[in-house]
Amino acid sequence: MAQCVQSVQEFVQDSFVPMVAVLCSEEAERVTRKNNLNFAELLRPFCRLTSEGHIRDPNNQVQVVKNLRICVNNVVISPNTVSAALSPSQCRLLNEVVLSCQPQEGAVTNVITAGDYDLNFSATTPWFETYRENFLQSMPASDHEFLNHYLACLLVVSSTETVPVEHFLKLSQEQHRIQHSGEYTNPKWFIPNTLKYYVLLHDMSEGDEQRADAVYEDMKQRYGSQGCYLLKMNSRTFSAEEDEQIPDPWSQYLQRSNLHNQVSTVPKTSSTLTKFGHCFLPDGVSNSLENHPLQLETASSSGTLHTLSAVNADLKKGARDPETLAGGAGSHGACLTLNDHDHIRQFIQEFTFRGLLPHIEKNIRQLNDQLVSRKGLSRSLFTATKKWFGGGKVPEKSISEPKSTCGLLYPPEAPELQIRKMADLCFLVQHYELAYSCYHTAKKDFLSDQAMLYAAGALEMAAVSAFLQAGAPRPYPAHYMDTAIQTYRDVCKNMVLAERCALLSAEILKSQGKYSEAATLLIKMTSEDSDLRSALLLEQAAHCFINMRNPMVRKFAFHMILAGHRFSKAGQRRHALRCYCQAMQVYKERGWSLAEDHINFTIGRQSFTLRQPENAVIAFRQILTNDSRQTATQQGAFLREYLYVYKVTISLPQLPLPYIHSSATRVYFGHERRLAQGEKQAATHVSLDQEYDQDLAAMWCHLEEQLVAAANRGIVPVNFQTTQCCLNSQTDNLRHPLAVVEEPIIVEVTFRNPLKVSLSLSNLSLVWRFTADCASPSKEKTTEEFCFATLTHSVDFFLSTDQQTSDLMVVRGRQELKIRGPRLNQTKEDKMSVRHGPDLRLDPIITPPMPLMEVFFLQFPTALLCGEIRKAYVEFCNVSSVALCGLRVVSTHPDFFTFGSQATTPLSPTSAENCSAYKTLATAPEPGLVASEILVSAEDFSQSSGVMEIPIDGCTLQPGESTQLPLWLRGPDQEGVHEINFLFYYESTSKGNKISHRVLRHTVFICASRSLSVQASACRSSVPLHHSLDDKGDGGAMVFIDVENINTSEAGVREFHIVQVSSSSQHWRLHKCINPAKDKDCKLISRERAKLCFRATRCKPHQGISHRKIDVASSRTSSSSKKQGPTENRASAIANIVKKCNELDLNIIVIWKAYVVEDNKQLILEGQLHVALQTIGKEASSLTPREETQEMVLLKFKSEFPPIVVLPPAELSQLIKTNLHYPETYTHPFVQDSLCVVPVTLTLSNCSLAQVDVIIDLRHKSTSPESMEVHSSFTWVGQTQYKLQLKPQEVLCLTLRACFLQAGVYNLNTPRVFAKPTGQGAMCETSQQTSIPALIIINNA
Amino acid sequence: MAVCIAVIAKENYPLYIRSVPTQNELKFHYTVHTSLDVVEEKISAVGKSLGDQRELYLGLLYPTEDYKMFRKLHNSFTDVMCNPFHNPGDPIQSKAFDGIVSGMMVQTG
Repeated sequence: MAQCVQSVQEFVQDSFVPMVAVLCSEEAERVTRKNNLNFAELLRPFCRLTSEGHIRDPNNQVQVVKNLRICVNNVVISPNTVSAALSPSQCRLLNEVVLSCQPQEGAVTNVITAGDYDLNFSATTPWFETYRENFLQSMPASDHEFLNHYLACLLVVSSTETVPVEHFLKLSQEQHRIQHSGEYTNPKWFIPNTLKYYVLLHDMSEGDEQRADAVYEDMKQRYGSQGCYLLKMNSRTFSAEEDEQIPDPWSQYLQRSNLHNQVSTVPKTSSTLTKFGHCFLPDGVSNSLENHPLQLETASSSGTLHTLSAVNADLKKGARDPETLAGGAGSHGACLTLNDHDHIRQFIQEFTFRGLLPHIEKNIRQLNDQLVSRKGLSRSLFTATKKWFGGGKVPEKSISEPKSTCGLLYPPEAPELQIRKMADLCFLVQHYELAYSCYHTAKKDFLSDQAMLYAAGALEMAAVSAFLQAGAPRPYPAHYMDTAIQTYRDVCKNMVLAERCALLSAEILKSQGKYSEAATLLIKMTSEDSDLRSALLLEQAAHCFINMRNPMVRKFAFHMILAGHRFSKAGQRRHALRCYCQAMQVYKERGWSLAEDHINFTIGRQSFTLRQPENAVIAFRQILTNDSRQTATQQGAFLREYLYVYKVTISLPQLPLPYIHSSATRVYFGHERRLAQGEKQAATHVSLDQEYDQDLAAMWCHLEEQLVAAANRGIVPVNFQTTQCCLNSQTDNLRHPLAVVEEPIIVEVTFRNPLKVSLSLSNLSLVWRFTADCASPSKEKTTEEFCFATLTHSVDFFLSTDQQTSDLMVVRGRQELKIRGPRLNQTKEDKMSVRHGPDLRLDPIITPPMPLMEVFFLQFPTALLCGEIRKAYVEFCNVSSVALCGLRVVSTHPDFFTFGSQATTPLSPTSAENCSAYKTLATAPEPGLVASEILVSAEDFSQSSGVMEIPIDGCTLQPGESTQLPLWLRGPDQEGVHEINFLFYYESTSKGNKISHRVLRHTVFICASRSLSVQASACRSSVPLHHSLDDKGDGGAMVFIDVENINTSEAGVREFHIVQVSSSSQHWRLHKCINPAKDKDCKLISRERAKLCFRATRCKPHQGISHRKIDVASSRTSSSSKKQGPTENRASAIANIVKKCNELDLNIIVIWKAYVVEDNKQLILEGQLHVALQTIGKEASSLTPREETQEMVLLKFKSEFPPIVVLPPAELSQLIKTNLHYPETYTHPFVQDSLCVVPVTLTLSNCSLAQVDVIIDLRHKSTSPESMEVHSSFTWVGQTQYKLQLKPQEVLCLTLRACFLQAGVYNLNTPRVFAKPTGQGAMCETSQQTSIPALIIINNA
Repeated sequence: MAVCIAVIAKENYPLYIRSVPTQNELKFHYTVHTSLDVVEEKISAVGKSLGDQRELYLGLLYPTEDYKMFRKLHNSFTDVMCNPFHNPGDPIQSKAFDGIVSGMMVQTG
């Protein structure tokens, strides 16, 4: 149980006080009514006596009566019999009392820490105390006990009556009639000769004081000085001291008593004496109380809140009424001065000590005497009869009495009751010892008589008086109470008495620290018949559990919930809510989700009906946002309630549903792109459909950097910032994004529905806030307004349950979009705590208008053959109102496309009938194979980076203007699908904007299919230099070109024609076709292969880049193509020298035509393939070789030493070119001369640009055995070894002599030539080319 | 046979809770939660009287319960705790445990 204001002793004492009735004359009533009070009310604040009284017990011992309180009530006459239950009006009163007593806002609350729980609740429960007090006061007087029977009666007559004494007489007769006529069972009187106390009321303001005194003297004569009193009052005049502040002791009593009286006067009688029933209460109260909605409490029921709110309105009215009551009766005792207060107090004291206590004392003595005289007789008689009749027999005198369920009933004046009467008297005057012994005796008597109700009453009071005995000679007999309660409840079916008994017992147990027992007791007392009582008792039980030595937190919570449930059943919503809230503290966030949901739901409902929508919203929100384990139907019910709350209460609420995945929010700046417009294909740019790709973003950023660098003369500005069109969680959101005025901003929000029921959203709109910011740059004269806008990050939408039922719940609400940046992880503080960076995704800065360009592509192919040349058109369109300039483009594949100049190519695709990339020059066909030469300026090769300026007219595009440019595309060399990215760059013509430039992205996918494979190789011509056609240089090279049709699509391409082979080089030129085959028109059908041979010669130095073409076919064509720029290698390293010697740097261009059949139409596709020949002897291919599958390599943990520079033999073998000159046939008469000596000239030419040491060894290799046989008949004569040094590019002739012994065919190519660059330390000579046999035929003449 | 079996963590949140008549789940949850007070009382009593002697079975909350049931459940619970992938304090989501509990539950239908 909760803590109480009163101590236990006080409480128990005050529960049983002497009752005094009041009968007033009409005139006296009028006098007191001046104070807005009746006489009983007037006395009420002064009913507790401050001084001690004394009383003598039957043994003549003086007993001190301390702190006595008497209870003064108007006589209320009712003929109805005592009922075992409270009347409905009384129940209503109790309900009202509890309802009006609410905990104060911000009242002191205790924090109890039990285990892991910190509970916060108020330790006192004033509503319970008020309830208890009122309950005890409203106890109906019962026949089996006398405690609340009237002991005395005050007869009040005003002095203004003409003959007051007559009135006294009348009142006295009235009292006698009420008590003895037998008409009324109520009120009940203690003793037949009730003490009558005559009070003369004198109104100082109007009556004659002397006359009053005279009447009083007369009264003293008549009734004795101890039986009458003159009460002077109303001495205060209104007009004089209006401002004087008199304390109002009535206020605390009267609010309750007003209700009380109102209720108690409901059974109106004919008596004129009780017509003070002033009905202040409007009908609303009783209406609301009668309509108590008991059916509301079931959480699972689908009882809608519609009815709840209706009732709620009523309740509100009801709750308001007590205040109006208090206000209406605000000025009590207005005519009373402090002196008058003292008079009243004195009067009470006088009455109690002079009248009441002696009266009680006298009666106790009388009763005692009766009992003592009866004792010997009756006791023996009883026992004797019991013996004779076998016990358990009902005494003969009660045979005629009605039997009831609770045993027999005694007549009011039965001798058995006298002892009880005496006990009650003793109890009232605080003589607990005597009272206990009397109760104890009475109990025995009643039990033996089987008068259960009486016995229970005696048990109860015996226990109470035992408890109240000072010094406590005997322990508190708790089992008496238990028996009493049980008897009251089970045998007598009198719940009111049982409840009183339980309340007393619980309070006593509490005072003894027996919380567990108290709780059990209280819980036992809960029953279905009274929700209010059950609720209050359960709440007290809960308090018991928490107050135990080992607090039982969970039991506390559980019983709080039960109490809350009963409170809500009893219509006490506020109390119910409080109970649930207190229980919530225990269940919260501990995984008891079902219970938690249930509590939250109830809290939500109760809060709502109590007009606390904020709390309701919070509670409901918790149900819906947690990962609920509820079933779908339950969730649906929750949601409906929740939406209803929203609908009714808040205008634009924050909805928790659906869940917004805020970090997944994407923001897109700009228009949604049209992808295609007729034939035109728009640049893809960025769309919301694309997933964010880190690599791609880096690639675009790199491209943009290149563009910006190109636009700013090669320097990327410090404040360069990549343009981000679409912001998401992965992009850099640390800066305010820039958006252009009049361009849309698209926000993509991700919703998630955590519930099992479907939600439908409609009418979504984005709410935003705009903050104008006039930050105009001072340097410029034009004051531009930079507009600074921030979105309020909220989404506004209708949320509705998706139900088939007709009552579709639609709520308009909003949700904030709060984006938290990524978690910081830089500093130590960041790592220690959870910190998040800012995210300015939704806070764009709006800038002045910027140009907006759209790019369209016309006739853009999706598939190309490798190397195919195709023309497309690109259209640039300025769709904004601002001129743009500085158009540039960059691509990941700069060799994929080039812009055709407007001069050479037709402007529009329609005007070009022939889309050939090549211009056919009509020249006279020359017989043979003719080479022509074109010089190409070096600038055309200097395409250093991928950035290209777009050649448009005037370099600007005016608003609304559009221009078209031809675009040459060349299919990628590699087959497969290629992703080609373009980034278009443009800037505004007006400078100084916040956005320096804008970009437009475009991505195309080109599917390249195989066309031709060109493989080229070059080898040094073995022709000696002076034989060569060239007058200068060290001779030519042979270029072999293998062309193979590797196209696999049988249907598409029928055949390829090699139209032309061109070369492009700084040092070399193709000279002449020396194709052995004579077919001029080189056709290749599928899988056919052709071989072309050319001779290449070195050009003159500084001749520029020669661009030679050699016609294969009869027509000549010219083409333009790009090559990589010249490379100047001035290297001193040996390797470089050697390499230089072998360097070729010759690009071969093969131009072809393909005949394609498509849709029964023959198309001619053209294209060119490039082969870059880098070194002599190495084969180069137009196809880059397939990457070999990476082999598994053993992991090496040692760092590898760089390999020692060893000149590769293959390269060294090219240092020296050797030629043998000799007659092909030589006739020698072997008959004459057996030795045939043939002169052979060995020409050595140094191909390199360095000095070379050469060793020539003419000896046969002796090591190889087979060579011995072959060359046995042939030997070199003369000097067989030469050591020579060759200057760079020097040609040297050596004359050798070969000696033959007989005729035959000999291979002269046996000299081994070793060469090494001069200065090379180690001899790493390598034999020079020895492969080709040099055959000589020796004839015998 | 049992109608509701719950494993509760030291900090009073449910690691596992299952009841057979699902329509009364809320009631069972409340009951289980409230009975924790008794458990706590018993634990403190055991701690006092027996010292280090750890008797895991605290006795009967209600006289019809079966000791074997507890042992079976406890063995299964130990198995769950022995699982190296189980994080102590997490709700139990073991199939084996679920099976044991189902076997102990009242067979409905």
